[in-house]
Amino acid sequence: MNQQNFPVQVAPLESCREPGPEERSMLRKVLDRVGQYCQSRSLFVLHYCTGCGAIELPPSMTSRFDLERVGMQPMVTPRQADILLITGYLSVKTLKRVILTYEQMQSPKYVMGFGSCTINGGMYWNSYATVKRLGDYIPVDTYIAGCMPRPEAIQQGFLDLIERIDGGRAVAWKDYYRNYDRYLGHQQHLFGRDWLTPTDVVGEAAHYRLAGDGTLGPHTALLDQYAGYHQAWGVPREQYAELEASS
Amino acid sequence: MTQQVPEQLHAVFREIPGIRVQHDSERRVRVTLRADTLPALLELLKGRGGYLHLSAISCVEWPESDEFELVYHLWSYESKMMVSAHIRIPRDPGRFISVYDIHSPAGFFERDIHEMYGVFFDGAPDMGKFILTEWDGPPPMRKDFSTLGYVNDTYEWQPYQPEWLQQAEQKGARVLPQEGPDGPLRKTR
Repeated sequence: MNQQNFPVQVAPLESCREPGPEERSMLRKVLDRVGQYCQSRSLFVLHYCTGCGAIELPPSMTSRFDLERVGMQPMVTPRQADILLITGYLSVKTLKRVILTYEQMQSPKYVMGFGSCTINGGMYWNSYATVKRLGDYIPVDTYIAGCMPRPEAIQQGFLDLIERIDGGRAVAWKDYYRNYDRYLGHQQHLFGRDWLTPTDVVGEAAHYRLAGDGTLGPHTALLDQYAGYHQAWGVPREQYAELEASS
Repeated sequence: MTQQVPEQLHAVFREIPGIRVQHDSERRVRVTLRADTLPALLELLKGRGGYLHLSAISCVEWPESDEFELVYHLWSYESKMMVSAHIRIPRDPGRFISVYDIHSPAGFFERDIHEMYGVFFDGAPDMGKFILTEWDGPPPMRKDFSTLGYVNDTYEWQPYQPEWLQQAEQKGARVLPQEGPDGPLRKTR
């Protein structure tokens, strides 16, 4: 782990290790259990409706199938939402917005890939602009297969996610911190070496004590190199290269 | 089946040398003409025929003859007829004159065609990037651009039926692709 390039001191691996489930005290186990139960019964869903899947959500949410029965409600802002629901295909442009949205959400956060497109590009599998595997760029908790999945399938997917949260198995969001370098590498492959988000994910990983072997690496080293890009936010790439050369 | 072209339109078409008119259905006239006469046709149709609305400009690439075909779709609210004007321009250098001064919506259509096919329109207000703002490659709608080749080079595929998943399904377990032997979630457990 290369610590010199980062202002945030990442704690050594031993001290940020989470105690295993069997190592916890009895009280902690009970509290965790209650917490997980409550968490799984109160979920706010942020819909990222750029694909055709959005049309299946109104019947799922409203009186016909009524998702509020299982404790789910739509939410309009990322910072107050638990679940990011990606309803359908993502282009390279919209994936950028999804990542910016995802990084704004508070932990614990869950991502649901909806429809075949998030799994393997779906019917747009041979399109130059459509992203194939969502799981390469952000960690996904549950996929709902189908083109389109019916509301029954959506509900089944939500119930599956609820079961995972209740059992403490929906931990994909931790993987984003532990293997940030891998996710960032895939992002940089599509968006270019100078890809930056306003969120300091490495700092957050240290804060949550989730920094692992895969948090820092060759791809996160590039973040530092292009950090000045933040100040020149909105400057076209060519102009930025000129600015950089002149300074 | 060729029907009678209305006299109003016929008078316009008579002005254009070398024009070929096909009147295939009641409300649709297809004309094929030389590229250099197209602005004159659009002016005449707008001024005399009432064809005020340019619905779209489409582009077709013909690799056999090394040409781009540009189709200008024009609509008249008075006679409720569509005229589609077909011209062909050589693929190299792929330049044509903009009709923005006749129909201002052409600015968007030409910008789109420039982005997707690489045809440059002289006199267009803006030939900058339009929808593919983050695309650095060749114009993607050209026939010589291999979409599948690009996709195979850029993205990785998700195996649909890997063995470990089949085994897990036989046991009745629900497993994510990330939880498979190569998946990241597996390693962090």
